[in-house]
Amino acid sequence: MSDVVMGYKQSTFPKKLAAISGFALLVLVILPFFVGSFQLSLISKLLLFGTLAVSLDLVWGFTGILSFAHGIFFTLGGYAAAYYLKLNLSAAKNTYGGELPDFMVWNGLTELPWFIAPLKYFPIALLAVVGVPALFAYITGSFMFRSKVSGVYITIITLALSSALTTFFVSQQAYTGGTNGITDVSKLSVFGLEIPPIGIYFLILAYTVFVLALGWWLTQSNFGLILRSINENENRIAFLGYDVAQYKIFIWTLSAALAGIAGGLFVPLNRFISPVYLAVAFGTQVVIWVAIGGRGTLVGPLIAAMLLGQVQNSAEKVTQDWQLIVGVLLLVVVLFIPNGLMSLLPKQFSLANLSKPKPLPTPDAAVPVAPEAMQPEPAQRSS
Amino acid sequence: MSDFALLSMLSPIYLLAQDAAAGAAKEAFVWSTLVNQAVNGIGIVGILLLTSMGLAITFGVMRIINLAHGEFIMLGAYITFWMQDVFKMDLLLTIPFAFLGTAIVGAIVELTIIRRLYGRPLETLLATWGLSIVLQGVIKLIFTAQLKYVKAPAYLSGSIDFLKGEGGATLVSISYYRFFIIAIALALLAITMYLFYGTSWGRQIRSVTQNRSMSQCLGVNTKLVDMGTFAYGCGLAGVAGAVISALKTVSPPMGQDYLVDSWMVVVTGGVDKLVGILAGSFLIGESNAIIAFILNDPTARVIVLGAVIVLIRYRPEGLFTVQKRS
Repeated sequence: MSDVVMGYKQSTFPKKLAAISGFALLVLVILPFFVGSFQLSLISKLLLFGTLAVSLDLVWGFTGILSFAHGIFFTLGGYAAAYYLKLNLSAAKNTYGGELPDFMVWNGLTELPWFIAPLKYFPIALLAVVGVPALFAYITGSFMFRSKVSGVYITIITLALSSALTTFFVSQQAYTGGTNGITDVSKLSVFGLEIPPIGIYFLILAYTVFVLALGWWLTQSNFGLILRSINENENRIAFLGYDVAQYKIFIWTLSAALAGIAGGLFVPLNRFISPVYLAVAFGTQVVIWVAIGGRGTLVGPLIAAMLLGQVQNSAEKVTQDWQLIVGVLLLVVVLFIPNGLMSLLPKQFSLANLSKPKPLPTPDAAVPVAPEAMQPEPAQRSS
Repeated sequence: MSDFALLSMLSPIYLLAQDAAAGAAKEAFVWSTLVNQAVNGIGIVGILLLTSMGLAITFGVMRIINLAHGEFIMLGAYITFWMQDVFKMDLLLTIPFAFLGTAIVGAIVELTIIRRLYGRPLETLLATWGLSIVLQGVIKLIFTAQLKYVKAPAYLSGSIDFLKGEGGATLVSISYYRFFIIAIALALLAITMYLFYGTSWGRQIRSVTQNRSMSQCLGVNTKLVDMGTFAYGCGLAGVAGAVISALKTVSPPMGQDYLVDSWMVVVTGGVDKLVGILAGSFLIGESNAIIAFILNDPTARVIVLGAVIVLIRYRPEGLFTVQKRS
């Protein structure tokens, strides 16, 4: 084990990477003071979508599990947050007075269902935002990965999951608000103080930084090395004695929890959640961000989500056929730039290069092999 | 979903059944409704069979993950709409053109996109998803996003009544058009089976899927076979679109509705033999119809999808395939 990761062990603090990401962070921190409220909420939303894409990148880019189900985790987290905010509407603001949310009254419920009632309390809601998607992922993950099923079939299962859950959420109108979802939720407040949009922006920015840092730390560690090995040759890593399913379930659950929190932050921002985000179309949207940005690059999907979102915003004013452009872009990327837009960056700016300092000149030449040579070759992808 | 229309059509009879107070009478009513539901389930089976046949060829035979399958169905529907709109053609007469048109588009797609991605299933999946967005966008540019309506031929309206109640109310019936869908689906299945198992072209296709390099050595033009097979699969999707266009409204995103369902049929039936999809569509269509009768429509869909997920988990090669050593 230890000699495999020697190249990483030697690394000291990555100065270049820190400089670039510090600069990017600085731009994002001062940005809200220069843009209008519409742009602020748009950027916040895109940061969340970007975070969602990063969470998919952990699963797909690094471990090789292509999932159309990440919208599910996002939405589950979103619903948990939406119930919390809906139940905390002050009675005066609620359409029908009383405790019961409006859509439950419309659908003839007379009291709060037991499984929704506890979400009125902040700690429980917080737990649910993380826990429900994670639990759902753990169950589906254990079911899928502990079998000989792999690759494309996993993807088809996620398609079916997404389709089934959409139907389910739309049909359970009394509990989920049906097609409309949960609307008119209260604003997020802490100790009775309403958080302004800029506060939510910084909350989201902090979360984005956290997810990127976690993803970076995770993928640079031994654990990340194993994930990438699973992507490249699952059988070989199993022969070495690793429980591949265990690793897959772990990263699947972790990624779901990250996506769930993104969904949980999305609701205070957007003030509604609906089954739109469960549907296959949104799931594929996330996949497209990762594919265009570059699999296994972490920042690539984030940048792709933010850029595409901005372009979409301006393109929609001009043309209705914005989706056509996305389709063409996706085709071009898959056919000609299979590793995504990030791979177009010059070599010295690639993440792998930035995170690794120059090898120190060793006068005694005890280690003749350069650290680069010890890393697994990233070039060939079997999937 | 087709099931919604079906349920609403059925509901008066269903309510009648609910109203009948006498136990015995109610029993009789419910039974006939159940039979009616099962017979109408056959209509769903026909649609499933028709829409998934193209996929059974592109995925089952060629192992191409085609997420643009629904869009080829949509293309077929638009070709029918266009011909009916411009030339006032009968729906039946437009079917060959729908086949040819989508097959040509399929051949072009194979030449330009699919060919570059053989052996890379996940890339193919992404590319075909991009293609599906592009096709939807192009059709939207040409025909706008408005819903279009296609007229079914007059001689196919009306329904066959199997069983009449005491008051003359129809208890068990099926519309001619659904009957027509099943007939055309079965005919296409028979033709496809003949092409695959009875002609030299079919033998070439099967040899290429079994051992590509060996077939190449024996002088089979594998690239031409690939293109022909993919085009044929797309053509079948086009026929499905042409036939369905009279049943549903025609719109750019219409193909999406069929994508997941077709996939479920293909993985349920297994891809080894083409007959598998007949069994797959029968199982899914009928269980959908009957569970929808006992519980309700969305629940039926959730249960069936759940069952398919469990099935994929334990038998990814499908229910009706012989276990092979890989």
